Amino acid sequence: MSDAEAAPTTTTPPDRTLRTGPGRLLVAVYAVFALAATARGTYQLVTRFEEAPLAYALSVFAGVVYLVAAIGLARAGRTSRRVALVSVSVEMVGVLVVGALSEFTSGIFPEDTVWSHFGSGYLFIPLILPILGLWWILKVHRADQA
Amino acid sequence: MVDWLTMVIQMVSLAMAVWCLVSTFRDQPMLVPHLVGMGVLWLLVLGQVGAMIVAMVGGESPDETVMLVSYLATVVLLPPACAVWGFMERSKWGPAVIAFACLILPVLLVRIEQLWSPVV
Repeated sequence: MSDAEAAPTTTTPPDRTLRTGPGRLLVAVYAVFALAATARGTYQLVTRFEEAPLAYALSVFAGVVYLVAAIGLARAGRTSRRVALVSVSVEMVGVLVVGALSEFTSGIFPEDTVWSHFGSGYLFIPLILPILGLWWILKVHRADQA
Repeated sequence: MVDWLTMVIQMVSLAMAVWCLVSTFRDQPMLVPHLVGMGVLWLLVLGQVGAMIVAMVGGESPDETVMLVSYLATVVLLPPACAVWGFMERSKWGPAVIAFACLILPVLLVRIEQLWSPVV
């Protein structure tokens, strides 16, 4: 990894945390998505609850998952790593299931959420993000055990 | 809302994004010039948001005020938050964070523009 050469100082603790290197960018993206999904979902739940309660609640849920993932990635330690792994996995399953449901059935989610149509409204970032997240968590985990 | 200022912010933001992407690919960490650039960008954003607050206090208010205010808070917080988060990382991933933030900012401004003066 290039960041090992770029940072020869003693600032990085001996056990590699998830937030250094590519994890730095991942946390930033997760934080933005947490904000976007939670704020959007909450606003819609408050103002237009009766229109599509399930879709709006799902937006809030997705936002909370992003938030938990961001915190899990940003904090050091094994518990946080497990939290990050679980939340990113939930996100992966969420975007696939909701994406497929919105693609093949039209009635369940009349309003769009971050996960509808595999996140096409958000440049498919919701689909790519958990893949990168899982890759990064497993990579750090392996480097740690070696 | 000052239209030309929005345009300037979007241009500066995209320029920052390109510059930071170049730094990322050249394997450079975030340096003081990057930070100065983000400072300039932040001042421009503060100027625009300040002008909008003055206009809103003066009685010019769009329909979805709550939504607009939350977007304004986001654009004010985004540059410093990402600058700090990126500056803490002493590798090429620092500028990558800034590049991401600078790509989001123009999109947020487009949304703010839509909320401020909705096109029928």
